[in-house]
Amino acid sequence: MSMKFVEEYRDAELGRALSAQILSEVEPGRHYKVMEVCGGHTHSIYKYGVDDLLPENVELVHGPGCPVCVMPMGRIDDGIAIAEQENVIFTCFGDMMRIPGSDGSLLDAKAAGADVRMVYSPLDALRIAKQNPDRDVVFFAIGFETTAPSTALTLKRAKAENVPNFFCMCNHVTIVPPLRALLDSPDLRLDGFIGPGHVATVVGARPFEFIPADYGKPIVVAGFEPLDVLQSIHMILDQIAGGRAEVENQYARVVPYEGNTAALAVMEEVFELRPHFEWRGLGFISQSALKLSEAYAELDAELRYEVPGVRVADPKACQCGEVLKGVIKPWECKVFGSACTPERPIGTCMVSPEGACAAYYNYGRFARDREVV
Amino acid sequence: MSAGDLAPPDCSHEGCITCGDEALPLTVRRIDAERGLALCDDEAGRAETVEIALVGEIAPGDTLLVHAGTAIAHIGPATGVAA
Repeated sequence: MSMKFVEEYRDAELGRALSAQILSEVEPGRHYKVMEVCGGHTHSIYKYGVDDLLPENVELVHGPGCPVCVMPMGRIDDGIAIAEQENVIFTCFGDMMRIPGSDGSLLDAKAAGADVRMVYSPLDALRIAKQNPDRDVVFFAIGFETTAPSTALTLKRAKAENVPNFFCMCNHVTIVPPLRALLDSPDLRLDGFIGPGHVATVVGARPFEFIPADYGKPIVVAGFEPLDVLQSIHMILDQIAGGRAEVENQYARVVPYEGNTAALAVMEEVFELRPHFEWRGLGFISQSALKLSEAYAELDAELRYEVPGVRVADPKACQCGEVLKGVIKPWECKVFGSACTPERPIGTCMVSPEGACAAYYNYGRFARDREVV
Repeated sequence: MSAGDLAPPDCSHEGCITCGDEALPLTVRRIDAERGLALCDDEAGRAETVEIALVGEIAPGDTLLVHAGTAIAHIGPATGVAA
């Protein structure tokens, strides 16, 4: 890939032209709330100052699409309980290591002697298992449908290559149920959605059809460069101005409307839906997460080890739930930037760079005076 | 254990590609069809082994959209993408 193509999606002149088009779509007296579902978009918006190019009455609301941020404390505690077992090498993605459980993080468990290792992919974890045949290697799987195929392929590979010491603690979540929960929430009025581009690369644009069909709101599946985001906002506002509510695909250069059917097939084989799963700040949501299917039960770390499975309430001071639902802005949280910082996070939203609080802290902390509240 | 072992990974600038809904375009360098893997690299030349089971036929020089070590889309040799 040439940088040329990236630069085209970051062209300042085109950005200003899109900004002018957006201004021409909005009614002056009306306030528009558009939710970016995905943490990757939140990150882009702050990094490139996309919100600076929007009229004051177009407000971006951050959604629940950061898989680290939505992980409840109880699951971290369960992971730590497995990591502390004798003979276990516990592997996970980097951000996950810093999420506080009720009694410390995985990083703290590592400091206390547990063998916790960061990996960049499930395949790395499988490699560690092959290199350490005398130890159990557990992969703590997180992520939306973008990441789930990668875990599924690795589990398939472990089974095919007969690696007996590789196990998975599955925390994969699905994007549609929390969106429905948000749309059903009485305390939130949204006008449209910027759809998650890479989740859609896997699942396609079709699963989002319920948003216009059942709720009458537009959604535009979007890429991650600043012009992608701006163009998507323009497309949403254009739908609203024209009285339309549809699924549109701004990221068609990558996202097929039907998604990646091979990925969906391998997920279908390896996973099944959990009846319910707890989301940080959003509570229990039906059929919103994945576990290993019957065929892969022997690789399921939750069946191999006893895990506490206790529900742990979020810290009282932390308002991640309201941030994840877009009810408050990060800086309106009582502990934002004081007790809770990226260096010493209390809430999950401050841990991952995709988290709204961390993104805001890193890129937008001085801009809050001009926020439209 | 050194202090370095305990330091959190440095993924605070560009986001953590494995955690967020982000994927990176990588170029195919070598293909091991039997094992379903390809050796790819990014613009900076950093190499990564990538699962290729979810994309169709690929050739060296092609660009894949890669997330958590798995190619989730084949972008093609001539098409650029800002991921």
